[in-house]
Amino acid sequence: MSASQSVKKIIEINPYMLGTMAGGAADCQFWHRNLGVKCRLHELANKRRISVTGASKLLANILYSYRGMGLSVGTMIAGWDEKGPGLYYVDSEGGRLKGTRFSVGSGSPYAYGVLDSGYRYDMSVEEAAELARRAIYHATFRDGASGGVASVYHVGPNGWTKLSGDDVGELHYKYYPVEAEVVEQEMAELPVT
Amino acid sequence: MSIFEYNGSALVAMVGKNCFAIASDRRLGVQLQTIATDFQKIYKIHEKLFIGLSGLATDAQTLYQRLVFRHKLYQLREERDMKPETFASLVSAILYEKRFGPYFCQPVIAGLGDEDKPFICTMDSIGAKELAKDFVVAGTASESLYGACESMFKPDMDAEELFETISQALLSSVDRDCLSGWGGHVYVVTPTEVTERILKGRMD
Repeated sequence: MSASQSVKKIIEINPYMLGTMAGGAADCQFWHRNLGVKCRLHELANKRRISVTGASKLLANILYSYRGMGLSVGTMIAGWDEKGPGLYYVDSEGGRLKGTRFSVGSGSPYAYGVLDSGYRYDMSVEEAAELARRAIYHATFRDGASGGVASVYHVGPNGWTKLSGDDVGELHYKYYPVEAEVVEQEMAELPVT
Repeated sequence: MSIFEYNGSALVAMVGKNCFAIASDRRLGVQLQTIATDFQKIYKIHEKLFIGLSGLATDAQTLYQRLVFRHKLYQLREERDMKPETFASLVSAILYEKRFGPYFCQPVIAGLGDEDKPFICTMDSIGAKELAKDFVVAGTASESLYGACESMFKPDMDAEELFETISQALLSSVDRDCLSGWGGHVYVVTPTEVTERILKGRMD
């Protein structure tokens, strides 16, 4: 059963940090917003922005303290700080990993297949966006629990921007257009004798 | 997940003016993973009789093979095709034989009977027949299908309009079910011709 085709799965923590949603929607929405609050308090207390390392650790520590109580959160924290771009994977088991590419959720194995075979460290922004879009599209094709809209964001030194939000139903026919079938047998009127 | 939801399916049959339409989705899955997008769920028994089988795919295929076997024997003995009402009773009896170890299928039967009068019916997995004058539905998307058919159906539609109605009902219902969809397959049967069409649907 799908409740909505248009759920926002990329959460804007602040203008230079994004979080992705997988697992329980309420858990992800609440704790990401809570993280946004904590990041802002850090800025006020320390007169500087929080690093991606720090933000992801704040979230991971909160989730660890609720371990075993049934929270379901699988998220990636992506942002830009003084050290450059940062990407962390954080989940409700208490896991936290730094990395250059991740895929999360029930459709993640399918996305990894496309992502890993197409990835290069020196890709351009357009190439990377198209690879991400295709990875999401292929996950929605194979996984029953994934679907709807493929949103792509870019995180740069001046913060994030939304690049695209394509309906995967239309993406399918763009990547795999329907070809005219070769007609094997055609019905025809018999000549009248 | 229940055994009926293991593979995922959506079936619907509708009655029109001197015609009927039967439609299915095209997905074969193993729980959430999609394996095939061209899986056949509607089978022809004879020119004016079709059966759709929802539920566990292996049971649907085996049941279909047994039904074809029984119908061929009937054709040899009676020297004619089976009427849809008779076929429905046959399916019901075969399902009830397995009352304490059933086939995990829900059939949808549609055919043209005497004087080409349209006949549709559905059954549960142990053979309880449910006849209907308007439409019947089955599969994991059945609740959505009931709603869509109830609002879109009108009596005495001609073949063209019936095709449009059944296609829209099917596509909008499977979009609300993660286990069915990935295309559609529609048969529209009149006394003179059978039209088979594939629907372009959302592939997610």
